[in-house]
Amino acid sequence: MIGTDIIDIVEAKKTSNWERPRFLEKLFTSNEQQLIQNSENKFIMVWRLWSMKEAAYKLYIQLNPDRFYSPKKFECDINATSLKVTYKAFQCFISTKITEEYILSEASLLPHKMVSSVFKLASKDYKSQSKMSREALILSVSKKCNLVKSNLKILKSESGIPSIYYNSKRLNISMSLSHHGHYGSYATVSL
Amino acid sequence: MENEELINKLKAIISPYVQDEEAFATLSEETDFVRDLKINSANLVDIILDIEDAFDIRLENEDMEKMLDVKAAMAIVNEKLAN
Repeated sequence: MIGTDIIDIVEAKKTSNWERPRFLEKLFTSNEQQLIQNSENKFIMVWRLWSMKEAAYKLYIQLNPDRFYSPKKFECDINATSLKVTYKAFQCFISTKITEEYILSEASLLPHKMVSSVFKLASKDYKSQSKMSREALILSVSKKCNLVKSNLKILKSESGIPSIYYNSKRLNISMSLSHHGHYGSYATVSL
Repeated sequence: MENEELINKLKAIISPYVQDEEAFATLSEETDFVRDLKINSANLVDIILDIEDAFDIRLENEDMEKMLDVKAAMAIVNEKLAN
C-alpha cells in the first residue's frame, strides 16, 4: 500500500501561514515543534513534517476507511536511518524528496524506494487539476499493466478512498494521488 | 445561537479556503469540507483557528477529529458556547 503527498512551496507560502498563533500546536507534537524551532529552515521543516503526516494518513485510511482529522496524532520520527510516522499501533515508513519547488512524501508499510511520479500542472483550477492527475495515473497504470486506457477509471469508495477499475473490476493496486498549487504526484503499487 | 445565524457565520469563515464555488453556493449542514468544498487539508486547521477566534472558544484535538463537515462544526461551536 502507498500514500503520496505533495506540497507546492510557492503555494504553501501563499495560502498558509504557519506562523499564525496556535497553528503549530494544533498540528504538531511537542517533539515536532522542537524539531521545527531547531531547524535552519523552519518553513521547510513545517511542510516536510506536514507532508509526512498526510502521506501516512492516506495510507492509513486505506486500511481503516473512516475519515477523520487528527494530524497531531500522526507522529513523525526523523532519525538518521529512516523516517517513520506512527498513529496508535499503526506505523509506516516515509521517503521524502525536497526540491526548490516542492516537498514530496511517500508512505509505505515497509522501508522502500520512492515510486511517486511528480508532474507539473498548468491550471490551478481544482477540478481540472484533479482530472489531469487522474489521467496521469491512469496512463501510467495502462502502460505498466498493459491495459487499454479507455477501460480504466478511478472510482472513490463511500469513504472517499480512490481505487482503479478496469471495466467494472477493481484492480489489485493501491493508489494515491495528490495535487497542490502547480504540482501533482501519483503513486501505485500492486497489492 | 440560531442555526441560520451560525451557518452564515461559518460560511464567512470557510469562504476564503473553498476550491469548489458551486458546492459552496449550495452549502448545507451536510456539506463536507474536503469532499464537497475541496478545501485543502492544510487549510482545515486555519478554519479551526478562525472559528476559535470568531467565537472566542478553544477546540481540543478530540473536537477537531470529526470536524469534517458543516454539521460537525456547528455541533462543536454550539457545545463550546453552551459551556
